Amino acid sequence: MEGAADLGWWGVPLALLAGAVRASTPFLFVSLGECLTEKSGRINLGLEGTLVMGAMIAYGISFLTGSPWLGVAGAAGVGLVMGALHGVICGLPRVNHIAVGIALMIFGVGLAFFLGKPLIQPSAPQLPGLALGAWSDSRAVRAALNVNALFIIGVILTFVMAWMFRSTRIGLAIRTVGDSRDAARAVGLDVKRIRLLTTAVGGAFAGVGGSFLSLYYPGSWNEGLSSGQGLMAVALVIFARWDPIKCLYASLLFGGAGALGPALQGVGISTGYYLFNATPYLLTLIVMIAASSRDRALAGAPGDLSINSSS
Amino acid sequence: MTVSNDKRAASRAILETLGVGKVFGATRALDDVTLRVAPRGIHALLGENGAGKSTLVKCLAGFHRPSSGQIMIGGRERVLRSPRDAHAAGVGMVYQHFTLAPNLTVLENLVLAVPDRNGVSARRIDWKAERARFAQQIDELPFDADLDVTVSSLSSGQKQKVEIIKQLCLGPRILILDEPTSVLTPDEADEVLGTLHEMTRDQDLAVILITHKMREVFAYADRVTVLRGGRVTGDDEIGALDADALSEMMIGEVEIAKSPERAPTAADNVLLRIENLSADNDRGVRALDDVNLTVAAGEIVGVAGVSGNGQTELAQVLAGQRRAMAGRIQVHEEVYSGTRAEISRHGMHCLPEEPLRNACVPDMSVADNLAFRHFDRPEYSLGGLFMRGAPLARRAATLMERFNVKPREPRLPMASLSGGNVQRAALARELGEDVDILVVTNPCFGLDVAAVAQIHAQLMDARNAGTAVLLISEDLDELLTLADRLVVLFEGRAVHECTREQADRRGIGQKMTGY
Amino acid sequence: MTSHPGLRLAAESVVLILATFAATALLFALFVAAAGAPPTGVFYDIYLGAFGSWFSWQNTLTRAAPFMLAALCTALPARLGLLVIGNEGALVIGGVAAAAAGISLNGVAPLAVQVGMFVAAAVAGGLWIAGALALRHYRGVNETISTLLLNYLAIALLLWLVGGPLHDPASLNKPSTPSIGSANMLGDMPGMSVHWGLAYGVIACALLFVLFRYTTFGFAARIIGGNVRAAQLNGLAVARITLIVGFLAGAAAGVAGMVEVAAVHGRANESLVAGYGYVGILVAFLARQNLAMIVPVAILLGGIEASGGLLQRHFELPDATTTVLQGTLFMLLLASESLRGRIFPIRVQEAN
Repeated sequence: MEGAADLGWWGVPLALLAGAVRASTPFLFVSLGECLTEKSGRINLGLEGTLVMGAMIAYGISFLTGSPWLGVAGAAGVGLVMGALHGVICGLPRVNHIAVGIALMIFGVGLAFFLGKPLIQPSAPQLPGLALGAWSDSRAVRAALNVNALFIIGVILTFVMAWMFRSTRIGLAIRTVGDSRDAARAVGLDVKRIRLLTTAVGGAFAGVGGSFLSLYYPGSWNEGLSSGQGLMAVALVIFARWDPIKCLYASLLFGGAGALGPALQGVGISTGYYLFNATPYLLTLIVMIAASSRDRALAGAPGDLSINSSS
Repeated sequence: MTVSNDKRAASRAILETLGVGKVFGATRALDDVTLRVAPRGIHALLGENGAGKSTLVKCLAGFHRPSSGQIMIGGRERVLRSPRDAHAAGVGMVYQHFTLAPNLTVLENLVLAVPDRNGVSARRIDWKAERARFAQQIDELPFDADLDVTVSSLSSGQKQKVEIIKQLCLGPRILILDEPTSVLTPDEADEVLGTLHEMTRDQDLAVILITHKMREVFAYADRVTVLRGGRVTGDDEIGALDADALSEMMIGEVEIAKSPERAPTAADNVLLRIENLSADNDRGVRALDDVNLTVAAGEIVGVAGVSGNGQTELAQVLAGQRRAMAGRIQVHEEVYSGTRAEISRHGMHCLPEEPLRNACVPDMSVADNLAFRHFDRPEYSLGGLFMRGAPLARRAATLMERFNVKPREPRLPMASLSGGNVQRAALARELGEDVDILVVTNPCFGLDVAAVAQIHAQLMDARNAGTAVLLISEDLDELLTLADRLVVLFEGRAVHECTREQADRRGIGQKMTGY
Repeated sequence: MTSHPGLRLAAESVVLILATFAATALLFALFVAAAGAPPTGVFYDIYLGAFGSWFSWQNTLTRAAPFMLAALCTALPARLGLLVIGNEGALVIGGVAAAAAGISLNGVAPLAVQVGMFVAAAVAGGLWIAGALALRHYRGVNETISTLLLNYLAIALLLWLVGGPLHDPASLNKPSTPSIGSANMLGDMPGMSVHWGLAYGVIACALLFVLFRYTTFGFAARIIGGNVRAAQLNGLAVARITLIVGFLAGAAAGVAGMVEVAAVHGRANESLVAGYGYVGILVAFLARQNLAMIVPVAILLGGIEASGGLLQRHFELPDATTTVLQGTLFMLLLASESLRGRIFPIRVQEAN
């Protein structure tokens, strides 16, 4: 954050914005993926494993082929496979969906560390940034406005997904499946297949989110790469009340809260920023407490979602 | 019926089943069922719970595949693998349990269910065009509905109408209604069935009406087929039948326990007093509104009402399963909050509807389930802390014997028992010891006639022995048979109260609708 | 019905678990073979590293201790039909509380310090999870998600405390609390180099097993877990039992944190966040939430972890190999649930 220093206190909001945009991209992809899955009535707690696998595969492919975009595609592919794995197991009767997510997380993280061992040393070609701040003389401004294409893609995807839910037949079908299995079956929708599809595609999104971590920011592969963005997807979607557009805002907020610490450090405040890092989690908890009620299901949640069982 | 009659009927039938059978595991739900439905008119399917009516129509709607036999629609054999196949063949079904997505709007539900003429593949939905299309279609139907409201905010009657609209928009040749009037007020039921009756006169529409209400059969049906134990026991034009003949086809020759003897009681010692009680339903909407009610020792107070007018919530509040938002419950003139100590001290027991779901733990054993009331009493535990297996097992065996719970194997999981035995086991637990107050909800739902008589006799015995009984039931006939006093619930309020002598069917039916 | 229905269920569990192990072994064999290591050699090494010698047994048991305690944090609420995954958070909070107690009691007799640390960890962890279950009971807040969030809050709290209020200026590259003092550390049990945490774990599992199996409290908890409506109908104190179970669950994980501080690290720092909480979830599920099974399952997983070093040395397999094995086992185990009730189905003739 040396860029922020030369603007003094003004550097804080700027660094915050830049940090938010940068740190929010993986949040955005995992939350869109989770949102898609949850809209169909399933919950995938294993996106952390998918994210880390995506990061590793993307880095590996980029290193081997020299093309970071092929790496992104590979991450999407491996995410699709892991999502499908979750979808298939949860399609079996009497299987605990939440536990499958945790198992998938352990499995994915383990597999990524196993296969990614040789990738810690070498450096792979990175995704380019778009220099949207080229007009400015200030190094800090240019650094802040250096936006990655994946962020733009994520924003477009957000609006496409919102439009899909609102105005397409497949979107309506997903919402119906998520709202009531019986209603979906009665109109001839294949509930299992739709849920498998949304879980698989949701996984692919998480894989892409992982590729951002290893190919742009922080931009390397190591075992401490993810700071739990995948696990937080579930909280983020609750925070965003199952609305893709709110997922975008929530991702910026979560990313921004993460960026607040380093930004404050840049101007000399070094203690207490772990508490700022924790604010998104605290906010999500507060949102959940506010939206829940002991007498009815969680407000705004898809009716058939498995976290929705009120006592 | 003669052979030539048979042939004529077959030649003009829109739908036929030929020797259809259906086997679930070891149970034979349908056995060689042959049914012929004419292209116009209402065809009633009459039978008791468990007679196979639902199984039969689920085969017709593509939900089950018959184990044997054929289904012919429009003179051609059809294999219905899914509800979609059934739709394509012109069969629409309105289920007993609604199949609308609750958090979507009426329009969204219709759009999903009714593909437009350009086919399902149209990816984008033009909401404006869809709204116009359905507004026009509904205009042509004798039912109306608000397209933009969320389904969960509709009443049961409105949901039923939306379900029917949904099916009629698909232009079916055969419309199946599964017990449509169980959630409707008598007036709503008359409106819906009357309208459908008219429609089947004016156009090629056959309605299959599943019911166990004989009144509806005589008022609206053109023909009736009676099922018992998965077999056809009767099939004829309505004009050729009378009520006695129908009930014999339905019930067969079963020895029914004598209708219970009502002993004269004083009924002036009030044991249960409900004051200004209000409660919300699962959606946070007020479902029980300022209800006052008393039940005295030695009387049965019946609570009547159409399903969904606060009966469930009343029963749940009394059972400690739902919070009251206002008001209070007094037992023996003491404030009652449903703690274990109070339940035991006052002898206040509740038997909710669907006991397997609301009163039992399905995967615990029958013996364990029978122990819920007394497992921590001194005679069954060491100092109230440690369980004592032997006395609990003896107690379970005694109760199963007394209330005739079969099979007599206390170690079986509760869920493996049949519905009637679950009900008897639950009743054994609640009536197995002295109770001062008993709250029962729909105790006979889904039981056969013999079991119903047995349970009615047990309730009357309890009353005669001085128990205060609050009987919440959707079956008006049951209430008229048993209750000393009747209270009618409508939209969560007690709108009417009368004694057994004052009660008349028509008047109460009207109060149930809020007049 | 000739055989006892309970026996059939037990037999089914045994068959399912054996089938799960066999399938896991097969998949894992294929996996290591693809990675260029001989499967039989790998299996033999896992055996050697876990249970091959008294030395590996001690290593295994040391690793198993926190797993037992952490698993209780999932297994106890599971009795009530609740899925708590806040093991990691409760462990961290317990560790921090233990360290804080240890530091502030410095100078008192070691046994008193240890008791103080134990109580502080149990109370802190207990309140942490009881709080989540209180939100569940009184407010309908989903306990799985709330405890997941609480994990992050706990870690943030830990990092803030060790970097700020409880910071030891001497800890440079890894911010930590001051040491609790070597005299106050939990030593090894007599005759072995395994610390007292193992005894804590085994005793906790045994006591809680008795509580849930043989007491009226346990029976009431089973009713609540089986059908909360039935529990309410019978006037059981659902709120009180839920909060007590939450407290016991969190206390167990909190004590796991105390053991890490008082027997391993001597101070609280980021090393507390070692993923033991998530392994605890795995242990609880592998034990099918059965409290008596937690001890052997925790030892088994401790053994798998303990063998990681040997695999690395002999076959140059990364240490994540054992994580892959755990993940595979976990997933197949969950998938095997779908076969439950199909192997020895209970059939009842209609007796009406």
